[in-house]
Amino acid sequence: MFASWNPAQPEITDLIVQHDPYTLARVRVRKQDVLEVFGKFGNRKAIRAVEGLPERDGWLDEKEIDRLLVRTHWEMQRLGEEFYHGPRVYELLRAVIAAIRKGGFEGELKVVDVGCGIGYDIRWLAARTELAKKGVELTGFDLNSALIHEANRLSAAEQLPCRFLHGDAFSLDHSGHIFLSTGVIHHFRGQGLREFLERHERPETQAFLHFDFQPWFLAPYGSWFFHFLRMRTALARHDGVLSAARAHSAGTLAEAARCAAPGFASGIYGAKIWNTPAPRVFHTLLGIRRPLIEALGKALGRRAWRLGELR
Amino acid sequence: MTLLWLYLLALLDGLLCGGRVSMGRCALIRKRGYYARALVRGLLGAQVISTLALVALLLVDRFSPHQTDLVLDLEDAAERMLWVFLPYAVAVVASLALRMIPSTDLRSATSVLGLGPFTAIRPFVMVAGVLYGIWRSQLVETRVLGLFILGLMLSLEYFLNRGAAARQRKEIREVV
Repeated sequence: MFASWNPAQPEITDLIVQHDPYTLARVRVRKQDVLEVFGKFGNRKAIRAVEGLPERDGWLDEKEIDRLLVRTHWEMQRLGEEFYHGPRVYELLRAVIAAIRKGGFEGELKVVDVGCGIGYDIRWLAARTELAKKGVELTGFDLNSALIHEANRLSAAEQLPCRFLHGDAFSLDHSGHIFLSTGVIHHFRGQGLREFLERHERPETQAFLHFDFQPWFLAPYGSWFFHFLRMRTALARHDGVLSAARAHSAGTLAEAARCAAPGFASGIYGAKIWNTPAPRVFHTLLGIRRPLIEALGKALGRRAWRLGELR
Repeated sequence: MTLLWLYLLALLDGLLCGGRVSMGRCALIRKRGYYARALVRGLLGAQVISTLALVALLLVDRFSPHQTDLVLDLEDAAERMLWVFLPYAVAVVASLALRMIPSTDLRSATSVLGLGPFTAIRPFVMVAGVLYGIWRSQLVETRVLGLFILGLMLSLEYFLNRGAAARQRKEIREVV
């Protein structure tokens, strides 16, 4: 295994932007500290990428880092577009919404994107679907204020019916009936994964949908090839491939959800292509309140075979 | 006729280069106008290199001592190039056409199995096509012209990419 594919290490973006966990204020990051983390893993690729990051007196230049992150997220959106991620999210989300409505919920339904970045999923749903007109509130949360600012700028430029907030999606100030995320859940490891899933256990929450890379032996190679071709920054090329290597297996995700959020029936959706053994690039950890399972199956219709065991 | 085919393939390549360098540089959801402008830039870029190639060809023809043989030699070389470029272009266009089918899995598969690998091999196809074309040519003028055109073809994406990167840098500086 290459050192840059070692799943035990964090991604560069996990380290170069830090926030105070209570105030969410940005915390300065010393470049040398980041280099030392990757030095321990012998990850020369990451070291080269970090060495290239702009700094001032040994501290990473926050404004330049934000610019780099925005650029990287624009490129990540391109991958989402190329792999039709918006339609994939909508395919499952609309079935979940239909099941919740069938269950008798009539009010405004709040869909919350956790760690939304520049908000591609939410903006796509706002631009390409009728959800907002059908009483669905679309909101994205992220801890990075620069990305949230960019999400709001893009949303305003197209006058989309959605909003983006800087902060913790699970804070008591906000509520969500459906939580979703893309490429976020592998950032939570071990006990952190369970704690993340535990936070879905709120009385108003009806379901969660977490999309992430599906790990299999070719995934890091495929990810390397595509990031090499499509991404232009060393940061994105490194983290994109490491993300595929760090992705949780279906078993890990489902078991963690069943233990940490027992109020939901959890399982995997969309693991295979056309009911063949070939894996899809992304799979989805789905959790839904048990009384809604039957309605979900009906709402999925001919796609119900994509739904794994929910328990 | 052969030269016309090469010209059309150059325009198609420019069109796709223009689209490719613009991808990942605009995060709006609705961006048909953005992509249309990018495609036009690519098309214009291809037109510029085609014009340069034509000028070079006319100059060589003007000063070559083998004017009669040169035309035949160039046509033979161009015909051989088509044997490499045409199948490649057909494969790329077929991959794009498959994306018209409304299946997310099929469309993604065209990226993984078609467009991605085709993008990766583009420079090699360019080199292989031109080398195959000039390999058996009789005149040094044909070989020099072939290599000159190869340089132009390979530089097209580089220059389009530089332009797109500069526009992106400016926009990001404005928003952050």
